[in-house]
Amino acid sequence: MISNEPSYKERRNKRWIAISLLPAVALFIVLTAFPVVNLLALSFFHVEWREATSAFSFVGLDNYHRLFSTEKVFWDGVRNTAFFAVTAVSCQMVLGFSMALAVRTAGSYGRAMLTGIFLLPIVVPPIVIGTMWRLIMGREFGLANMLLRLLGLGPVDWLGNPDIALASVIFVDIWHWTPFVFLLMLAGLESLDGEVIEAARMDTRSRCQQIRHVVLPMMMPTIIVTLLFRVILSFKVFDEVYLLTSGGPGTATEVVNFSIYRTFFRQDQVGYGSAMSIVTLFAITVVIILARGLAQRRAAQRSTVS
Amino acid sequence: MQSFITPFSRRSMLRACAAAFIVAAGAGAALAQSQPPITMAINQSPWLNSFVAMVDEYEKETGNKVELDVTPFGGLLEKIRNSVRGAQGAYDIVNVNSLWLSEIYSGGFLAPLGDVQAGYGLPEGVLTYGDTTNWDAEAGTFAGGGALMGVPVNGNVQVLYYNTDIYAKLGLQPPKTWDELLANAQAIQNEGEAYGFVPRAARDSIVYNFTPYLFSHDAAFFRIAGSGKADVVVNSPEALKALETYVKLATESGPPGPGNIAQGELIQLLATGKGAQAIAVIAAWGQLEDPNASRVVGKIDAALLPAGPAGTVASSAGHWVAGIPRNVPPEKQKAALAFLDWFAAKERQVDYVRAGGVPVRGDITGADLGDDAAFRFIGAYSQNAQHAVMGLPFAQAAEASDAMALSLNRAVIGEMTPAQALNQAAADLAGVLERNGFAVTKLPDL
Repeated sequence: MISNEPSYKERRNKRWIAISLLPAVALFIVLTAFPVVNLLALSFFHVEWREATSAFSFVGLDNYHRLFSTEKVFWDGVRNTAFFAVTAVSCQMVLGFSMALAVRTAGSYGRAMLTGIFLLPIVVPPIVIGTMWRLIMGREFGLANMLLRLLGLGPVDWLGNPDIALASVIFVDIWHWTPFVFLLMLAGLESLDGEVIEAARMDTRSRCQQIRHVVLPMMMPTIIVTLLFRVILSFKVFDEVYLLTSGGPGTATEVVNFSIYRTFFRQDQVGYGSAMSIVTLFAITVVIILARGLAQRRAAQRSTVS
Repeated sequence: MQSFITPFSRRSMLRACAAAFIVAAGAGAALAQSQPPITMAINQSPWLNSFVAMVDEYEKETGNKVELDVTPFGGLLEKIRNSVRGAQGAYDIVNVNSLWLSEIYSGGFLAPLGDVQAGYGLPEGVLTYGDTTNWDAEAGTFAGGGALMGVPVNGNVQVLYYNTDIYAKLGLQPPKTWDELLANAQAIQNEGEAYGFVPRAARDSIVYNFTPYLFSHDAAFFRIAGSGKADVVVNSPEALKALETYVKLATESGPPGPGNIAQGELIQLLATGKGAQAIAVIAAWGQLEDPNASRVVGKIDAALLPAGPAGTVASSAGHWVAGIPRNVPPEKQKAALAFLDWFAAKERQVDYVRAGGVPVRGDITGADLGDDAAFRFIGAYSQNAQHAVMGLPFAQAAEASDAMALSLNRAVIGEMTPAQALNQAAADLAGVLERNGFAVTKLPDL
């Protein structure tokens, strides 16, 4: 009779797999799961300090009700963040890909030089970037307006005009993060099969055709991963807004993270700030799952066609 | 000449002297360390060096040690919260900005100074900046009759800055009323050499900067109407007049884009001579008089803020108060109070001003400083300090301030009329008060 029971060796292997995974699981629980569960729990409370002791009052879904019924600034931030993410990431993807193509086709000397130049913004600390661009975009003494004056053009209030303040912040973000996209795209281009590219060069009539029909499809996995990275990071935008405009004028440059920071830290509304954080976390997770699902479905369709 | 000291007695003498020296040195050391060393959390502000100079003086004079943990403004509140909320505090003194006072007082984190040393009161002459050194725990607000919670260490109230060169050229006088300030601003603006008035109307600081306008018009954000009761009055006709004045000054006689002008831009415009008048904290004086940072050294003067229609003057309190946390040992608390008491004495405050600090006493005159022109701000400072007010004297001040800031800022950038902005601010403020347990009454919409 053949037993279905796992052998001693199999049991030992399974045990060993479980034990070897334990440190990673423990780290995940301590560093990721616990903070999120704690955040979720806090979102159902109102926390006050009396006589140097914290007093937790259970308020159920009140914080969420308030967030969805009376809150204004946070939702302005959501709208701006979504616009920010779509605009900034689209520009970064196009620019980063173009820069990577330019470097890929350049000679070895030009390649080293261009890579160095293109990567410069990403090595500058965010605090320096904010300060630097605030000085450049200052209405009275900023470099940008000095250059405009040389051209006989009037000064522009880059950060003080509510109609263009968000565009100015997006511009700084594009400047800051395009090198990141460039780097990943360059790595993707470098890993493409040289023979396929060579064959494409002979089979296509123009460079545009080659890029559109051969390079882009082959680069799709890299593009999707980079896009996901950038969307997630752009939802986390904080330092540029904090240093350039502090969310103003009005709510012209308000973003989600700035609202959470103000609520959580400045106003010390721990419960309400947690509810904002949970809603944001949930929304970003949904976006990522949807994006991944779409990408996988598309890949499946493509493999079926081929 | 024969010596009366034999070799033996000479040796004894030397031993006695050595013993006496050791005893004296020991006693000296004991005196020098009469207080245990203390640590203070403090902000990295422009006046920090003057405070460091006073700490050096204290250590030299008494032998006691004060260690300063210096943190940028943005991170100090979190450091203070982390320390005072723990079982044992990391800091024996915490330097609390006026914006955070109500939160720190109401949380019960500080030891009333009367508990640290029975019967302790602020030395005579020390300013309380609208009673903000005292907290009435029962009523949940600042009150002169409440427990003394701290000693001010920097009296950062607002003053009116004006460029004396431009004033002389146009024959202007320091304004006594808001209308006069507006007239001066328009005269300067029309002349075209400089902006008539530089407003500070960025969202994060607009409530603080609107406060003197509001209170000088005999209006307020809200009034406590009894235990747990509040009347929201920010949308009163007087408040509307105040906001109209604020918006007019910000939009008609100043630089474009006032809705994003923060303190940094304001000081920059004054220091370069591009701004002729502004209302700003007295701590800016040092920068305006620094030859390495200013083109208007010796050309700027300070004055009392303009009065409202009934002659009321108000200046926003932006001072710092040093408190002693409950969660440090009693001997450290006593050492902390010894230092703060030493610091508040008049002669030390004169030294503090000479070192570049802003005093916390109202009895220091130009004569105390040898009538040195470098300290010509002292008269205007003392006058404004007497009129210091706290706009939002309750624990949720930060939440209330942020709630109203958006509407006020929108009024400045033209997205709302002043009446709409005040109605919205009143609704938002009422919401904050109600959420925090107040029974609220509100004026009808404007």
